Amino acid sequence: MLSGQGYITDDAVSMAVFLSMQLQKPLLVEGPAGVGKTEIAKVMANALETDLIRLQCYEGLDATHALYEWNYQRQLLHLKATEQSAQSVEEKEATIFGQNFLLKRPLLQAITHHRKPVLLIDEIDRSDEEFESFLLELLSDWQITIPEIGTIKATHIPQVILTGNRTRELSEALRRRCLYLYIDYPDFEKEWLIVKNKVPGIDDRLAEQICRFIEVLRTLQLEKTPGIAETLDWAFALSGMHLDHLDRSIIEQTFGVILKDWKDTRRVQLSLSELLERTGIQSKFDDL
Amino acid sequence: MITRHTALSANIVAFCRFLRKKGFTLSAEEEADALRSLEWIDYTKPAELRDALRAVLCRNRRNLEAFDALFQQYWKELEKAVDSKIAQQEHRKPKPGRQQEAFKSLKTWLNGNQEKEEERTAYYGLSENLNRRDFAAVPADEVDELMRAIRALSRRLAAHLNRRRQATRQHASLDLRRTLRANLRRGGELLDLAWNKPKRNRAKLVVLCDVSQSMELYTAFLLQFLYAFQQVFRRVETFTFSTDLQRITPLLRERNYEEALQVLSSQPLGWSGGTKIGHALDTFVRDHAPRMLDSRTSVIILSDGLDMGETELLTNALVRIRAHSRRIIWLNPLAGYAAYQPQTAGMQAAWPHLDVFLPGHNVDSLRKLGRWLGA
Repeated sequence: MLSGQGYITDDAVSMAVFLSMQLQKPLLVEGPAGVGKTEIAKVMANALETDLIRLQCYEGLDATHALYEWNYQRQLLHLKATEQSAQSVEEKEATIFGQNFLLKRPLLQAITHHRKPVLLIDEIDRSDEEFESFLLELLSDWQITIPEIGTIKATHIPQVILTGNRTRELSEALRRRCLYLYIDYPDFEKEWLIVKNKVPGIDDRLAEQICRFIEVLRTLQLEKTPGIAETLDWAFALSGMHLDHLDRSIIEQTFGVILKDWKDTRRVQLSLSELLERTGIQSKFDDL
Repeated sequence: MITRHTALSANIVAFCRFLRKKGFTLSAEEEADALRSLEWIDYTKPAELRDALRAVLCRNRRNLEAFDALFQQYWKELEKAVDSKIAQQEHRKPKPGRQQEAFKSLKTWLNGNQEKEEERTAYYGLSENLNRRDFAAVPADEVDELMRAIRALSRRLAAHLNRRRQATRQHASLDLRRTLRANLRRGGELLDLAWNKPKRNRAKLVVLCDVSQSMELYTAFLLQFLYAFQQVFRRVETFTFSTDLQRITPLLRERNYEEALQVLSSQPLGWSGGTKIGHALDTFVRDHAPRMLDSRTSVIILSDGLDMGETELLTNALVRIRAHSRRIIWLNPLAGYAAYQPQTAGMQAAWPHLDVFLPGHNVDSLRKLGRWLGA
């Protein structure tokens, strides 16, 4: 299913995705930045031909932003407009706290969607613990209680993907609700396939050199190890320049695409010769 | 075919038990999931069965890393033994629980924590003597009493800090939700306006504790003291070090004290290794600092500063930590002695980079620490 969407994967990943769909359980995906965690959800939504609803987590995310909020402005306008009418207070109250005045945020959207959506809760480990426990409630009951309206039950249980890159340890309770999948940096063959697949028209030799170089780069202890996203950016940039091989000066000129920390850049610059040797890339000057 | 299926189901249940002994947390739900997933896969292929069970039974990365080997081990044993249950029992070898003498007191404390914490010994009942007494000088039979006192004290301080205001009379920002609610009875005419003030953003805390032999007891008391503050801070990260750095946050959070103890006692102890605080802090800066430190994070370091490592490493690490955090608080129990001067090489190097320097050697000084945590 996944490979049909141009997602290069291995058995462990596809099995986890498959079982999470069969068992109707959320899938918790962890791994370093830029290995395609978020991509899984997008590909899944595509393959299932359904919508992707995404909730990006951040510090301080609370229920108002994740769940629902009343459209106060609209409520006020409505009250003003009906000022002269003979409606009783109770009637007015019933109207303005109706579905029409409800702003649906991603979570409420997901459970009231007209068909089974894929719900991506991105970087759950960035949210606060309070939010995590709130989410726990939703994931087990699939219903949301809004004091003014009552309980809203899920029309379809969404297919949930949670991602995290271990900036914070998630609670055992949340883990228990989910299937767990860890995605690491791909090995050379897998990455090469991904590059070939995603960057059409790239030179074979260039693709191979790019992947080899990145592979060696990842063995260094960098502040920000380049992920697949960086590899692809680099491949796009280089193939856009119609290059067919890597050499020292090209690498030096395009550092900015793969290295996002000045200390890393300096470090790689210093050890570039050694890296190139390990990669087997020759510098222009060596040829002379 | 049916008999074979039954045998497989039984084996999967047995396998789950086997995993539990190896430290997996599995409930009946996971077992059921594992059995259900057999429906959808081709379980005659070992690789597919393995992938499926791994997806269902693993909870975290540690589990994942251990899983493949355990899977192989189990099924190999199964082939050898006709009866799976016998095979499984052979596996059950009790781990030799070697208990370091130095951690006896810590263990009593850890275990003591699991008991009901309802008995709130009045803090004021603590004799003046015990308030001032150096932790190292507390006789073993009074350790419990002191721990309880510290727990009560820290809870009181923490509760005080936790009182967050939300609604306010200042005209900060309009609380529409409350305003509408309050004015509905007037038919929607907005007369009374409600205001709110953003909740105070709570600070974070990183604790680095020296667990070399001389410091072990102080660390125990400090951790006990900080335990109550977990609720106050948005996040508390705890590390221990002697020669190497260990992150024990998950252990303390899951209240898995038994495991926390094992990690602590697996550290090389005593004078042979020595404390390499520079090295430990350097590791912290490299591996953890970028995602743990920000301008709202206070860093507490508990160490006697008898550094055996390079002072340059220590200085560099402190400079970086200070640049990225709110403040560095250094607790040094030796400073409890009136005649103390920071003359060890490590302390000399660290001194210019600290924001707060406290002894942290008795209840009184912990109370002072509490004041800094609030600010």
